Amino acid sequence: MEPEKKRTKEDTWKSDELKKHLRVSQSDSQSEDKKQKEKKLQRDRKTHDMVDYKGYIHKDQDKDRGKAEERTSERERFKSSERDRDKLRDRESGKDHHREREREKLKEKDQEIEGEGPEKEKHITRKDKEKVSDKEGDRKYRRDDLKQMLIENNLKASGGRDKEQRRRRESKDQLEQANIRDDVKERRHTERKVKEGKKSESKNSLGEFLTKKDEEGGHRHKSHRDQELNKDRGRSHIDKREHSVRGGKERPSKERSHGLFVKDGEEKYVSRRRKEGSSIEDRERQLSKNNEKRQREENERKKRDLKNSEHKKQGKSLREEEETSLQHERNARDKGKSIEREKKEDTSQRPHQGEHVSAWKPMQRQKREEEPEIGDNYLTNYEDDFEDYEDDFDDDDNEDNDNEARDSEERLREIPVSKKSEIEEIQRAINAENERIGTLLPKQIKKKSEKEPNMERQDSSARGSLCGMFMDFETANQRQSSQIMATKQKKRSSELLRLIDLDFSVSFSLLDLPPVNEYDMYIRNFGKTNTKQAYVQSNEDNLERDVQTDEIETLEKWTQHPGDSVLVSGGPRSSNGVSTDIVVTPKIDSQRLTNFLRSACQVIAVLLEEDRVATQPRWNLRSRQTSLSISDSCFQLNTNLPFLHGRKVSCLHISQVQRQALLSVHGLPEKPGAIQLDRKYIVCVWNVWQPSSPQKVLVCEAEVSCCCFSPSKATLVFAGTMDGSLVVWDLREDSRMHHCVKLNGTDWIFRSPTFSTDGILSSLNHTYPVLAIEPVSTSVYKEQNYGLSHLSSQEEMSGLSFQIASMDENGTLNLWVAVELQKVDLAGSQSDLGLIPGGKVKLVHSSTVQLNSSLFPKDILCLRKPQTLNIKFLPSNPNHFIVGTDIGVVSHGARHDLRVPPKLFKPQQGGPRSIRANAVDFSPFGKPIFLVGCSDGSIRLHQMTSEHPLIQWNDSTNGQPVIALQWALTRPAVFFALDASSTVYIWDLLENDLCPVAKQIIQSDKVMTMVVLGEPEKTNGLLGIALAKQSGIIDIQYVKKRWALPQSEESEKLQLLLEQSL
Amino acid sequence: MTPCRYRASSYNMGTEAYVPRPDDFFPVRFRSSAVKECIHAIMKENLANVQYNPEETPELTQSLSETIKDRLKVEGFHRYKMVVQVVIGEQRGEGVNMAARCFWDADTDNYAQDVFMNDSLFCVVAAFGCFYY
Repeated sequence: MEPEKKRTKEDTWKSDELKKHLRVSQSDSQSEDKKQKEKKLQRDRKTHDMVDYKGYIHKDQDKDRGKAEERTSERERFKSSERDRDKLRDRESGKDHHREREREKLKEKDQEIEGEGPEKEKHITRKDKEKVSDKEGDRKYRRDDLKQMLIENNLKASGGRDKEQRRRRESKDQLEQANIRDDVKERRHTERKVKEGKKSESKNSLGEFLTKKDEEGGHRHKSHRDQELNKDRGRSHIDKREHSVRGGKERPSKERSHGLFVKDGEEKYVSRRRKEGSSIEDRERQLSKNNEKRQREENERKKRDLKNSEHKKQGKSLREEEETSLQHERNARDKGKSIEREKKEDTSQRPHQGEHVSAWKPMQRQKREEEPEIGDNYLTNYEDDFEDYEDDFDDDDNEDNDNEARDSEERLREIPVSKKSEIEEIQRAINAENERIGTLLPKQIKKKSEKEPNMERQDSSARGSLCGMFMDFETANQRQSSQIMATKQKKRSSELLRLIDLDFSVSFSLLDLPPVNEYDMYIRNFGKTNTKQAYVQSNEDNLERDVQTDEIETLEKWTQHPGDSVLVSGGPRSSNGVSTDIVVTPKIDSQRLTNFLRSACQVIAVLLEEDRVATQPRWNLRSRQTSLSISDSCFQLNTNLPFLHGRKVSCLHISQVQRQALLSVHGLPEKPGAIQLDRKYIVCVWNVWQPSSPQKVLVCEAEVSCCCFSPSKATLVFAGTMDGSLVVWDLREDSRMHHCVKLNGTDWIFRSPTFSTDGILSSLNHTYPVLAIEPVSTSVYKEQNYGLSHLSSQEEMSGLSFQIASMDENGTLNLWVAVELQKVDLAGSQSDLGLIPGGKVKLVHSSTVQLNSSLFPKDILCLRKPQTLNIKFLPSNPNHFIVGTDIGVVSHGARHDLRVPPKLFKPQQGGPRSIRANAVDFSPFGKPIFLVGCSDGSIRLHQMTSEHPLIQWNDSTNGQPVIALQWALTRPAVFFALDASSTVYIWDLLENDLCPVAKQIIQSDKVMTMVVLGEPEKTNGLLGIALAKQSGIIDIQYVKKRWALPQSEESEKLQLLLEQSL
Repeated sequence: MTPCRYRASSYNMGTEAYVPRPDDFFPVRFRSSAVKECIHAIMKENLANVQYNPEETPELTQSLSETIKDRLKVEGFHRYKMVVQVVIGEQRGEGVNMAARCFWDADTDNYAQDVFMNDSLFCVVAAFGCFYY
């Protein structure tokens, strides 16, 4: 129960209430009179209210009475559970006591009725007195009440306090129900008590004050009170009291015996006192503010009261018993403590009764000093127990008050009416004071409850000083010291502020926490909540990336071209390898190797053949078969080839530079064979040292009338056709560009022309059959060194810096420039239409000379237009050329239209006549002389400076037309002639300048043409003639040494001879 | 945001002589880094596994501020008056901005602050040291 009570206490002192209370108390202290007036007004108002209230209660009380009897039985049960054993023990006696008390009260009331005379004021005062006495009983009830209350409803503590008060009142009413007469009075009395209940505490203390006053005049009153008490109480109680008085010194032991009980009671008092303090205030407030509320609560309260009343009765009896038992000790203590009590009252009264307080203050201190001695054990730890003691005092006060009240009642009874007015006045004054104190007391109590007695003292002292009546030196000292401190501080700060600068710092950012966005919050809280993450696979992230192109693999390699050694290529094997890995074995291209071997074989074969020729072992062997009288040896070029069957050789040509290279032109076969080439003309390139097969086989659509090699190197073959076109073959071309035919187990490559003027350049082209084609060297050096300089000049001529002269039978001389293209277009050229795809050489027209108009004089031309048959360029000066005609004369021309004498080279006799100059040939030894062979069989030897011939042989061939005529290459004075009857003549001018030295008739076959071959550079004296026969056989006859080998000073002899002939 | 609790504690040596600058007599200057370390250690120690609880936070702030203040006293900033401010708030994703501004002698006075955060709370401790001349 204790803690519950304490809690109620705490609840009671809620902070706001406290504040209000403080405010009120302070304001009260200042405006006390005002408050008093207000309170009086309130009181008056309440008396009006009470009239209604009384009636109300009256009805209820009838009901209550009926119920009260029922509850007595209940009470018994309750008691057993709630009360201590001691209480149970004491109950019986308590009941008796209760009965006694009731009796006593009845008496009192009777007296009151008597006393309640005409004056209302008196009545009131009497009532007050009565109330004082009632209060004693009330207190007891209240205590029980509280117990019950706390059990039933702790929560309603603060609200219930008021009710409690009323309950108390009503319970008292119930107690007094028996006295119906007094009902009305009693009720009024209770209502008064509602007002004055708050003052009860102060009244008590005031009562004490009064008693104290009485004490001043001797302890008469007290003794009287004791007597009264003794009288009122039963004998047993007196004994007890005596016992307790006796045992004042042995109190500790006694207390031990009562231990639990006493403590219980004390604590109850404590709580009650506090409650009273607060309740007084509460009551004051509530009463002033809401009387209506009170009425509302009345119903509840009554119900509760009915219940409580039993307990109260019971409690009261118990309580009384308790008190009586305790009374003894307390009374014993009272003597010492009453002083303290007075002191306490002084403190509370001090504000109002300044003189009083100041007078009392020393006393108070003195008493404080005394207390430890008096209080013995109790006061050893005064501060802690202060409260408790106070409670005790209060309790005692109450007891005393009760006693006092009773005394006063009794006094009232005894005191005559005349004195009553006096007493009433005193009481009125007391009441007024009580009211004032009542407002202050709670504050003190509160402060005590907060265990700040010092503060209280200071407060009160401060207040005292405010009033100017009380000097508190302690405070003054404090103030002074604080003032000193303040001045010190001030001084210090002023001194310091001179030394230092204070400034505002920049504001420091202590925390900058950015708001978390929604998603982060979700993620952060996800794990904490009762959730589970579900995954959905949408396959969106399953991206695939693919590259179709393969990684480019790179490797660094090097090559050397042309390869100096076997190491022609190499490079690091891997990308990061530093060491170079040299590829030693190059790849083998079998095709290329084959080609290489083939050409190499040819070269070797040629070399071997050359060696054989040089050593002549087989030469003789071969020549023996077809030996002629004029020749040492002879051999045939192998024309017994499938594609050459039945083809007549129409023309032969030998390169001027490479003497072994021979061209043979084959005409169409007489009877067409199965071979595709039947409609085509064939030109064969031979190496005379390798007669077994032609080096190259060239094919042409048109009939080839004449052909020649390129002047410097036998790499190009030019041919004029009967169509008037020129064709060029580049012998260096790859064989794969051309048609390959396999004939009798051998691959033959038939080369088509690289370039042909057929169909293009129509305005410039020949319109007549081309009869002669000659290479023209542009270099002039040949003049200085003939013959021997050929080799040296070869390389210079390799740049194709030469022209080709072509002459048709109409006398048109065209000069062409052979151009070698730098770029090869395998797809065929758009602009050069005559060029074979992949071809590199083409002919560009340079100039055209109409020989007929320029070369021939008008007298000749007037007869008929002469036909040009052949043309030869002067080897020493290519600008000069001679043209053989069909009128027996040879005209002399120059390329740049230079008129050079003699214009014509005429026969010795007669003018122009129809004699064809079939052959003209310059001497290869640089002399400006040439031979002319005519169709009438005459042979003329001309020199360039003379119009007429040096020598003319007319009947050397017996009138047979000379077909071919050519100087020997090794001897300047020897030449060969062929007539139409297939007779070969050998002339040696040094030996015989009138007729040929030898004559050989070739019976077997008709010789179509003849060409001289030989190597003037060599001294082995090989001089041969190639005879192309009608059957297609090409015979090569090496003439006998006596005509072939050059003789000493032959040129000079010839020169001499020529001079003689002039 | 939950209202923050703070408590300031002050400390006065009450010496009479003027020491205009900390270096003259007391080499222990209020060094921000050292104090921060101290604060950090204490916070780490006391708040490592603490969950925010509005009931307990006021006491926590109080005890924390006292602990830090006492520690700083032990550290020996003898001529300094310490003001330790502790703010604990709940981490709920709201943005918080906290700043301080002082009227003081910037030569001698200084402050140190550190922030501690865990999942449920953040704690800002600012210790201001005012030189007592």
